[in-house]
Amino acid sequence: MKAPVKTTISSGTAVGEGEGATAVKVVSSLSKKMAEPGGLTVAAIERRSHERLLSHKHDAMQSVERAVSELEQRTAGALAEPDPELYRITSQMLDLAGFFDTGPLYDAGYSLCDLLDVMQSKGRWSPDAVRVHVRALRMILGDNFQMTPHSTSLLEGLRAVLEHARKA
Amino acid sequence: MNKDEQVNLEHSTVLLIDNNQQALDMLGSVIQGFGVREQIKLGSATAAVKLLQERPVDLIIIDCADPEMDSYAFTRWLRRETSAPLKYTPVILVTGHASQAKVQEGRDCGVSFVVVKPITPAVLLKRVMWLALDEREFIECPTYVGPDRRVRNYGPPMGEKGRRKGDLSAHIGIAKEANMDQSDIDALLKPQKVQL
Repeated sequence: MKAPVKTTISSGTAVGEGEGATAVKVVSSLSKKMAEPGGLTVAAIERRSHERLLSHKHDAMQSVERAVSELEQRTAGALAEPDPELYRITSQMLDLAGFFDTGPLYDAGYSLCDLLDVMQSKGRWSPDAVRVHVRALRMILGDNFQMTPHSTSLLEGLRAVLEHARKA
Repeated sequence: MNKDEQVNLEHSTVLLIDNNQQALDMLGSVIQGFGVREQIKLGSATAAVKLLQERPVDLIIIDCADPEMDSYAFTRWLRRETSAPLKYTPVILVTGHASQAKVQEGRDCGVSFVVVKPITPAVLLKRVMWLALDEREFIECPTYVGPDRRVRNYGPPMGEKGRRKGDLSAHIGIAKEANMDQSDIDALLKPQKVQL
């Protein structure tokens, strides 16, 4: 990397709590290397990356399926106490699903993460709200991640559940 | 993004950190498709800390929820505990779901970009290209170390169209209108009575 040039931009109250800040002009090694001639076209990069990513899709979707099954098992019982594993499982599922166009599945999973986060921050626990999300995930899986009138109404229902939890 | 534009990532070393091995492999495949010859894949941020103490990299892409050291803690370490030029390494934070508690942390930890899933190779490439043209200054103060967060002040990088209606370019072009008269400027500064 090129040696940075330092300039003090504030010694007064302009930046955070009355403390001074230093601004440094940096040219990163990434910028310099990417400025060199050569490389691939954007179109070629997108095609290559997409092809490589697709080779993982089958395994990733199997993991998503396993995650939904695990959520079902964990929410099958009384679920009297909040289970932190539910957030971990769902967010891991999102990490995988988020590489592909899984439309309503991703939205339903995100809604479940939001719900668990909201309930945790508010100290309120509603097992039914969680269960309805998990059932929706299973139904969407059955629809092969397609956005259908069925999944649209499911997502609308989940949004209402989440909104209710936020206002509670 | 012009599809015929050349992007050269052949000589860049990219460090990928993800505690989910399957997601790490997928990210690795995307980056391989970008034409990157050297990528280092690590399953934990603590392993990345050890690596960076030994050698530099050109770009870091991290999605790590490891409670021992997550993406945010790693970036804070990089920005605050290392010396130049390592501390200036561009960091893209990829995240699936960001809890309320983490949203502000994401803004304050000093990452260059937060990319929220779902992601496509095109979105990630766009962010990498943006970083290559990034002209934001690096701010160091007791409460924050990282790229200038006041993106509005700088506008989008050269050649990029801003997403906000009011985005301005950081580059001053040729004046399109005549200079204002001093009397006009004085009139703007003059205090005026306001009818409430």
